[in-house]
Amino acid sequence: MTFRIPHSAFRILAALWRLNLAEELQYRANLVASALGTLFWIGTALLTLALFFRHTARLGGWDYWEVVVLLGVFNALSGLIEAVLRPGIGRLAGEVRSGDLDLVLAKPVDAQGFVSFRRLDIWRFTDVVLGLALAGYALARLGRVPSVAQLAAFGLALAAAAVMVYAIWVVLMSLAFWLVSVENLSVLFDALYEAARYPVSAYPGALRFLFVYLIPIAWTTTIPASALTGRLGPGIAPVAAAVAAVAFIVARLLWRTALRRYTGASG
Amino acid sequence: MSRMAAARAWARRYAALVRNAWLVDLQYRAAIALWLLWGVSEPAIALGIWWTIAGDGQVAGYARADFARYFFAVMLINQLTIAWDSWYLDRWIREGELNFRLARPLDPVHEAVADNIAYKTRTAGMILVVWLAVALVWPAVRLPVEPGRWALTGLAVLCAAAMRFFISFTTGLLAFWTTRATAIMELHAGVSLFLAGRIAPLALLPPAVAGVAGVLWFRYMLAFPVDLLTGAVHGADQLLRGFAGQVVWLACWFGAYRLAWTRGLRRYGAVGG
Repeated sequence: MTFRIPHSAFRILAALWRLNLAEELQYRANLVASALGTLFWIGTALLTLALFFRHTARLGGWDYWEVVVLLGVFNALSGLIEAVLRPGIGRLAGEVRSGDLDLVLAKPVDAQGFVSFRRLDIWRFTDVVLGLALAGYALARLGRVPSVAQLAAFGLALAAAAVMVYAIWVVLMSLAFWLVSVENLSVLFDALYEAARYPVSAYPGALRFLFVYLIPIAWTTTIPASALTGRLGPGIAPVAAAVAAVAFIVARLLWRTALRRYTGASG
Repeated sequence: MSRMAAARAWARRYAALVRNAWLVDLQYRAAIALWLLWGVSEPAIALGIWWTIAGDGQVAGYARADFARYFFAVMLINQLTIAWDSWYLDRWIREGELNFRLARPLDPVHEAVADNIAYKTRTAGMILVVWLAVALVWPAVRLPVEPGRWALTGLAVLCAAAMRFFISFTTGLLAFWTTRATAIMELHAGVSLFLAGRIAPLALLPPAVAGVAGVLWFRYMLAFPVDLLTGAVHGADQLLRGFAGQVVWLACWFGAYRLAWTRGLRRYGAVGG
């Protein structure tokens, strides 16, 4: 029984994504629009960095191309957010408000899993590719060839970063169950996540503390980029994985508490 | 006498429109607070970065406290001058919500202006309260008390707000012709990040780029009123040139708005009929 449920969950997701893909393939021009938009935003981000580096040789101890590696990681994660999280869990606040969530809860699947991964904005996956390409190019400009251990550490840290971003979304969107009138909760994420564009060491001390321990966005970009450039040893990756696991568990517990509140209210 | 009556009638209409917009916003005050937080996150992050870069020295004449004052002024004045109308217009036109607005005996632009007045009074008021509270404990963001300068800044903010309103409204009207009107507005926002002084004072840009910002409208939509408030505009000559730039570009964008509105409506009517 316990094994059958995840299995069916994968089948359901596969079916949803197939339908989703068929639908999106009708709008192939959106691929070009999405890629052009991403290139424009990468361009403005690089110009912003150029402006900072016009007035300083190092940003929080990082040189220009190191920050560009981080920017690539940021862009890859933004792609994941736009492709998976915003079209899925990002719609939760509106559904709590309108009561459409009832339709999800009536389904014999795990509500959190279904809400999170039900829909993909597939063209935004180009951001992931462009982001990783940017990180690779910047690494080449740094003249560093990462060792196998560094690459493995980067892979693990990046996966942990994706889990961390997901956990932050779940926590923020769970607030929708208490703040029913707020339809644009995802804006809260956007406001916070802007800060992940730069290494945490580029911020004053108090903010640094905030971003590492309280709103843990440092783990989403600074840590994977550091693992890739060798600024931090490969040993940081298991730590990142452990932190992400804790964040995931906390988010899951909060989600369950929030959901109990919702079912309590309508029942 | 009749002109007085007309003025009174307009005042009554605007009072009703603004009151209506204020009450609608009241329902969404939590959502508006989140948009506000999102709006101030960009200047707050820019301040954090420049604060670190400046260290104990100066960057092109800007010390840490100067950056703090600059970006607090950006938070306030950007909120006072920002206009979301291109997004509303795009929806009105694509989804036909413009139709019932056209059937009213009042040009829809007045509803949009009243929305801006209500929204900005609320949000800028919130920022002002926070700024005053922060200034109590953090001397870096205190401004010298200069009522004359504040009055001039108010005038510049009014011009900038009007100009950004017409830029946004005109771009939204492009929805009569294209489905990517909001994408054009996003491009404009990307350019204004640098040229309007959102990411750094214009004095920190390469001189050629800052020059372009002053020839085009970008400087006058944000950087000029901010510089005016923080005391970076010196002498009557600079002051007059700044206001002249604002007036010229405001007139240009007003003209563009009239043109897009009349042409667009003709096209819209042709499609509907």
